[in-house]
Amino acid sequence: MAVSGFEGFEKRLELHFSGDDPALTGSMGLRRLDFSLLEQVLHVVQCSVVSAVANQYFDAYVLSESSLFIYPTKIIIKTCGTTQLLKSICPLIHLAENLNHSIISCKYTRGNFIFPLSQPFPHTSFSEEVSFLEDNLPKKLANRKATVMNSSKSHAWHVFTASVSGSGVSAESKAAAYAYTVEVCMTDLDRVLARRFFGGNGKLMTEITGISNINPKALICDFGFDPCGYSMNGIDGDRYSTIHVTPEDGYSYASFECVGSVFDDDDDLVRMLRKVVKIFRPAKMSVATSTSRANDVSTRVNNAMKMVGMKCRSFNADDFPAAGNVVFQTFTAARR
Amino acid sequence: MAGEEGTLIMCHSIDAWNEHLQKANESKKLIVVDFTASWCGPCRFITPILADLAKKMPHVIFLKVDVDELKSVAEDWAVEAMPTFVFLKEGKIVDKVVGAKKDELQLTIEKHLK
Repeated sequence: MAVSGFEGFEKRLELHFSGDDPALTGSMGLRRLDFSLLEQVLHVVQCSVVSAVANQYFDAYVLSESSLFIYPTKIIIKTCGTTQLLKSICPLIHLAENLNHSIISCKYTRGNFIFPLSQPFPHTSFSEEVSFLEDNLPKKLANRKATVMNSSKSHAWHVFTASVSGSGVSAESKAAAYAYTVEVCMTDLDRVLARRFFGGNGKLMTEITGISNINPKALICDFGFDPCGYSMNGIDGDRYSTIHVTPEDGYSYASFECVGSVFDDDDDLVRMLRKVVKIFRPAKMSVATSTSRANDVSTRVNNAMKMVGMKCRSFNADDFPAAGNVVFQTFTAARR
Repeated sequence: MAGEEGTLIMCHSIDAWNEHLQKANESKKLIVVDFTASWCGPCRFITPILADLAKKMPHVIFLKVDVDELKSVAEDWAVEAMPTFVFLKEGKIVDKVVGAKKDELQLTIEKHLK
């Protein structure tokens, strides 16, 4: 294990805002935020846009350190390295207020940093992050919870959620009742497979690794970093998927995140996860699934993992006011 | 002409669009049509990059089409995501780049200038 290196593990922030159902009003909501103002917020977090695309439903940005997704009433921002992600909270809430959208829920998640000592304020510890969130979120987000799942192991999952009590469910949240989010973190990637993420040609990386096949219907926005590294956002209707790779030996890491619906074909998620594991062949990985109502998404995950030789090592489940039910599972390669 | 700069034209009406497209086709130059929208963040991101490319490439004509102003054109050309760049040569579509992708845009232009 290297003494220090690039931190692949991301910090992820998901903010939901009040507003009319975009499907009914056709309102752009937060998508009307001026790009120059967004750039200023990203500057505060120490990252910038490298590639982007918009469709009917949302805007997807590939950043120098991960991704940003903007929906009419929802913002998802995921950054890695030593970015100070939580510093984006106040400016984003403020910008949304200017467009008459007020924040109704906040969810912050991350795994365990490979190099925790390299993290700046307020990310030096989870308690510092929670303190910062407590101080900077408006008081009306009174329903709060902070938990570390699987805390004693190398792959743990930190979750902080805050939401308004009672009503005030955003348009996005209604649809979200049937949606789930899957966050996959992989470490100790197969060295030979990881070599394909060197060389700076994102388009080539997408093709030769088979990433373009994970969801053949998705429009892909990819970026290859010099001398190594890769990021991509996939957009398919109102759904995003995103992959980020730190391929260096000693601290290799890859993440995969996607959204789905409980009405999807069972096999869809299973097929995608199997492809993802085959692309990276990690020694260790974790999968966190969030759904508004308990359903069998985590079972689908487990089934997929079994098919590609990944053994389940831990299972944790908990309920959160804003995020619903979160299941966190870790896996290791059965044979290497 | 020393330091000849490229052309970047914003088409605000169907007539202007038809006129500029016809002139561009007659010039036999490579044409890049940028389907964009004023409210589109990703389009705003690529704006300065596109302006820069236009300056450096006098052998290419860049036409910008706002999908709200020219709805029918955007529909005819099946624009679903933005920005979408359509490459034309001698009246025919030769390539397409979907998304604000600086490197791919540059490489595709160079490919069709050969």
